[in-house]
Amino acid sequence: MRSLEPKKLLTLITAHAIKGIVIEKLKSRQVGGYTMVDATGVGAFGVQSGALDSDSNVLIYVILSEARLNVLLADFDELMNRSYRVKVIVTDVMILPRKKPSVTSAG
Amino acid sequence: MRSDVFSVLMDPAVLFFLLGLMAAAVRSNLEMPAQISKFISLYLLMSIGIKGGVALSVSGIQPEILTGLGIALLMAFLVPAYTYPLLRLRTDGYNAAAVAATYGSVSAVTFIAVGQFLDNQGVAHGGHMAVALVIMEVPAVIMAVLLAAMTRSIDEKRKGRDSASHNTHSEFSIKGILHESFTDGSIVLLMGSLFIGFLVGVDGYQTIKPFTGDLFKGLLGFFLLEMGMMVGRRFREMQVIDPFFLGFAFVIPVVNACFTLALSHWAGLSDGDAVMLATLAASASYIVVPAVVRAAIPEANPGIYFTMALALTFPFNVIIGIPLYFHLLNYF
Repeated sequence: MRSLEPKKLLTLITAHAIKGIVIEKLKSRQVGGYTMVDATGVGAFGVQSGALDSDSNVLIYVILSEARLNVLLADFDELMNRSYRVKVIVTDVMILPRKKPSVTSAG
Repeated sequence: MRSDVFSVLMDPAVLFFLLGLMAAAVRSNLEMPAQISKFISLYLLMSIGIKGGVALSVSGIQPEILTGLGIALLMAFLVPAYTYPLLRLRTDGYNAAAVAATYGSVSAVTFIAVGQFLDNQGVAHGGHMAVALVIMEVPAVIMAVLLAAMTRSIDEKRKGRDSASHNTHSEFSIKGILHESFTDGSIVLLMGSLFIGFLVGVDGYQTIKPFTGDLFKGLLGFFLLEMGMMVGRRFREMQVIDPFFLGFAFVIPVVNACFTLALSHWAGLSDGDAVMLATLAASASYIVVPAVVRAAIPEANPGIYFTMALALTFPFNVIIGIPLYFHLLNYF
């Protein structure tokens, strides 16, 4: 049976309008896998109703190691310094990894 | 022909908009699925695009068309040029640039509403106005990004930092802005539909008229219901807004409309085209421009520019502005 492995779950909440910028940051650090979900909500700048792209948020989930996470956190810190509004949430998770191919076959 | 302008309030589409406002005001749980709303907005753009293209195929490319498009382009540059220094009296360079871009650009839904209004009044208008809608989207954004870049550079110098040694630029270059603006889904659909309408002409249009023609008013009403709810919710959540921005949101559209009407009259445009252009000049973008500005001018507060365009100027234009601009034709 596979064993659980500790990983980091990076959750990003941002406006639909700048999801492209966020995804480019992920791709620049060779993060090829992520899950994106449309979101609505309310924040400091009013309602994000989801009815228009300019009025919508997205949630982006990325699972990665701590080493790669720290590099990305520096990137998002820089984006936030430039006034881009991104919520960055880090959670410790345990995941079942993909099974490695077995070396021997059953006899 | 110039009937009582208050007949606009008897238009089902406008009444559905008011219903949406009321539903939001009483905190009704009436809700439209987001995907439905997005579908209808795409449908409306497709319909006006194709109808505009068909109208162009009939009228041909006349000199009056180029005059109208010239006025459209002029207003797209003029509005941000004069509103930016006005806004700087009250706010920082970033918010001034963002609001100037918003008001220098246009609202497709307002464009659809004025088209419907003119159809109801029996006033003809040119199919090329859809092209005017497209060309008015971009110049204001480019100007705003340049103004924001200038503000950023001044800020960095004030902080004693060399902007070249710090990564202070936004993620967007002019080329990036042009790409984002012209490849935006709504623009692609509108221009594509216009081209298709122009190609297939009146005969080809008959095959899809039941979809893009007969269903149009009903779906417009449904869409404006959702817009009314959006406006109402945003209005309800809006924090106390600076009276300056409040006044700006209502006064500047009228100023822009009056100037455009005068210019259109001087250029000899038809009544319908004059009102279309005036309404475009009076409108503010809350779809394409806010998306570009969020990425290109992240320092600006969407609670200001987006709320002004959606919660203040848009309902003003739909309920009061359009009939007012039509009525002002009497004075030109």
